[in-house]
Amino acid sequence: MTATLTETEVGIRRLTTAKAISEGIAQEMRDNQEVFVMGEDVGPYGGIFGSTGGLFDEFGASRIIDTPISETGFIGAGIGAAVEGMRPIVELMFVDFFGVCMDQIYNHMAKIHYESGGNVKVPMVLMTATGGGYGDAAQHSQCLWATFAHMPGLKVVVPSNPYDAKGLMISAIRDDNPVLFMFHKGVMGLPWMAKNPRSIGPVPEEAYTVPIGKAAIAHAGSAVTVVSVSLSVQHCLDVAEALEGKTSVEVLDLRTISPLDRESILTSVAKTGRLVIVDEDYKSFGLSGEVVATITDVDPRMLKAPVQRVCYPDVPVPYSHVLEYEALPTRDKIQTAIEAVMKG
Amino acid sequence: MSVIISFPEMSKDESAEGVLATWFVKTGERVRVGQIIAEVAVDKVSLDVEAPIDGTVTLLVEEESAVRQGTPIAQID
Repeated sequence: MTATLTETEVGIRRLTTAKAISEGIAQEMRDNQEVFVMGEDVGPYGGIFGSTGGLFDEFGASRIIDTPISETGFIGAGIGAAVEGMRPIVELMFVDFFGVCMDQIYNHMAKIHYESGGNVKVPMVLMTATGGGYGDAAQHSQCLWATFAHMPGLKVVVPSNPYDAKGLMISAIRDDNPVLFMFHKGVMGLPWMAKNPRSIGPVPEEAYTVPIGKAAIAHAGSAVTVVSVSLSVQHCLDVAEALEGKTSVEVLDLRTISPLDRESILTSVAKTGRLVIVDEDYKSFGLSGEVVATITDVDPRMLKAPVQRVCYPDVPVPYSHVLEYEALPTRDKIQTAIEAVMKG
Repeated sequence: MSVIISFPEMSKDESAEGVLATWFVKTGERVRVGQIIAEVAVDKVSLDVEAPIDGTVTLLVEEESAVRQGTPIAQID
């Protein structure tokens, strides 16, 4: 799924994740007049991380709607449009800003379907930028996907590469439930960010879907399972390839956090008996603990060694580059964790 | 037919230097007309470069290198 490109491949069209997302949105908008986009700087600017690039030129101001800085207002408007049968894609510029609009997200977007006894659907995509690594400090660098996966009522997708991003976006638009589409800024392939080569990859030109709730084996292996999401998957793949011939590493890209593909986690750990979890979200009360419980709820004897977790420590994101990288899950830390779990 | 692709004129300052931010293709690959082959940037403004014809591409500058506007960056045969 996450293809590594070689010199021998010819005629492959590659895109950045940002361009793959906007292409997926454009294709759905051409087919379905009910799909529209709303948010801060999604229009002529194309989204500050490029997620809506080129859409304004094709679809105009009536379907690509720039909003004032009023997240409660425009997310609420999106929910209203969705319950009336539209399929809005609303962008929350940084996930860190959820604090000002959480009532709309948690108490309305996530609960209307349940509270109406299943009579009202909310077919809405809430797209948002996550993650750090570029010195944007504590209020613009968090991942927070577990915060949204924690409460019932939302689907949460977290792609790691261009192919999955386009396919998951199309699935999210077509889904009759509210879907949180969380892209890490580091996977977007932006020219002004640190280069992550796996953020550019082959993307089919036609519209296609990647199923929500289905993990992917990004790198097959037999000795240890490394479960990860988003940009961290790219780091895990780098480590898995560096360890080839030494340790057989299976990298499981969850792709969706809610609903969690527990079966794929169990299948892989049943095979390897060793588990490392790499998550850029906060360590405590989050995804990594949930992945461990997925194993221990079924049979803790599957594990031949204690689990290693490479997660964000429970501190706000530092502004200092040195301190930030001290906190982030890096390739070195992932490799150390794999070596530790192999000894255990 | 052979076509040279030059770094686009993005700044009115003719001496402005840009950067070949991203190559989406590699030398020897087949490309189709309209396919994005590169993203270039001048003064933090970026632009996609598309293939003007079908053909086989040869890259003339390295990714992330500084390039003057108008400089040939690729050839398609």
